Amino acid sequence: MSRYNNFREFYEQELRPDLESIDLRRRATNKKALTVLLITVVAVMSELLLIPGDTDFPKPVPVIITAFAGLVATGIVSESYRKEYKEKIIARITGYADEGLVYSPEGFIPMDTFVRSRIFTLSCDKYSGEDHFRGRIGKTDIEFSEVTAKHRSSSGAGKNRSEEYTIIFKGLFIIADFNKHFKTHTVVLPDTAEKLFGKFGQTLQSAAFGRGELIRLEDPRFEKEFCVYGDDQVEARYILTPSLMERILAYRKKWNTNLHLSFLDSKVYIAISMYKDLFELRPFKPAADYNFIEESLRFLTLITEVVEDLSLNTRIWTKE
Amino acid sequence: MLYAIIAVVVVLLLSVILIFNSLIRKKNDVENAFASIDVMLRKRYDLIPKIVEAVKAYMTYERELLTELTQLRIKALSQTITPEERVVVENRLGQQLTSLLVAVENYPDLKASTNFLQLQGTLNEVEEQLAASRRAFNAAVTLYNNSIEVFPSNMIASMMNYKRRTLFEIPGEMREEISAKPPVNMA
Repeated sequence: MSRYNNFREFYEQELRPDLESIDLRRRATNKKALTVLLITVVAVMSELLLIPGDTDFPKPVPVIITAFAGLVATGIVSESYRKEYKEKIIARITGYADEGLVYSPEGFIPMDTFVRSRIFTLSCDKYSGEDHFRGRIGKTDIEFSEVTAKHRSSSGAGKNRSEEYTIIFKGLFIIADFNKHFKTHTVVLPDTAEKLFGKFGQTLQSAAFGRGELIRLEDPRFEKEFCVYGDDQVEARYILTPSLMERILAYRKKWNTNLHLSFLDSKVYIAISMYKDLFELRPFKPAADYNFIEESLRFLTLITEVVEDLSLNTRIWTKE
Repeated sequence: MLYAIIAVVVVLLLSVILIFNSLIRKKNDVENAFASIDVMLRKRYDLIPKIVEAVKAYMTYERELLTELTQLRIKALSQTITPEERVVVENRLGQQLTSLLVAVENYPDLKASTNFLQLQGTLNEVEEQLAASRRAFNAAVTLYNNSIEVFPSNMIASMMNYKRRTLFEIPGEMREEISAKPPVNMA
């Protein structure tokens, strides 16, 4: 823990002066951004009015270029204080939450790691992320970031062919060292089939394509929330002990959203669906707001608590 | 009319074959799961002499416990033991190993010995895997028992002389109810 008694004190002494200067920048930038936006709108309007309609010059081209340039300029202008906020404030909150954690605003869990976890079987065609954290909590190495993965699907043929991206996953992706060794792959997914169709859903699940065998576990509450696939019936149960099942259920309740877990290479991969964008400054609200800043800390603690929640530091087996 | 009868017969025959095959598959799953328990039990047998050896020098009051462990192991490994007897012996073995680990708490030197700690880790590992294979066995038996009792596969099962199998009792693990509420606003 740090030398401050509580977060309020830390906030007042360490963060507040910087937050206030960020707020000044934010307001100035908002003005600048609004001006750029206004100029863009005026430029677009005048182009629409002034370019004569009867020329063979394609009218939409300059309009689109101007609008695009205006938006890019607005983005560039507002980028600066967002970056400052992350580097100065979020990085320090990270240090306050846990000294072993390292934060990089632009880093993220690489796409091949995301794909390798085999939580989502749809092909991932567009991938991005931010807010990467890495560190060691007790005996457990952990890293996490926000990620967004999209799948491209196309419909129609020839001239009518259209492509669109659908979101496979948006939220938090956590990778942590698991407390036991194992060789095969086991995946725990939210149970949509069984909730909708009951017993018939179980039949559907066992036919799930591209997954391992369906693992039927003895805890009915767990079976109602999740369905489990694995390459090995015994090893899946070696990982998912009754007490871990209990812990996963509680963890799901805590987040109250879709939870996916994958156990691979003696690590656990956790995908927590979330539409909220974490660790971001709100452009039209003050940054120097204690409750807002404290919420970032609460989220961060909630994420790192996974080590405690799934009891990952317990190393009473052969894995040290 | 004839075609209709043929169709019905074919469908019936096909479903009999399907049920027959699925019953055989389920029975084999049970055997398989049982074999994996056996593998773990054998690992435990290999471990017992090592543990006894490691703690013997330290433990003065638990001589009887150690002798019993050694004897139980010999009994479990003997060729003449019946499956029912073996279950009893295994259960007793498990209990005695647990009490041994509890007794170790009284010997700080022993608790600090790296050799013992390593053995303890291996034992925990074997016990954990044993629990997993028992649960896998029980899951396979439940599927099997269900299918030999529900209609229509129960008719074919009785023709094949398939009998209900008993489940393994799994030593109770401490279960705590973990309360959880979302501490942050997710919207």
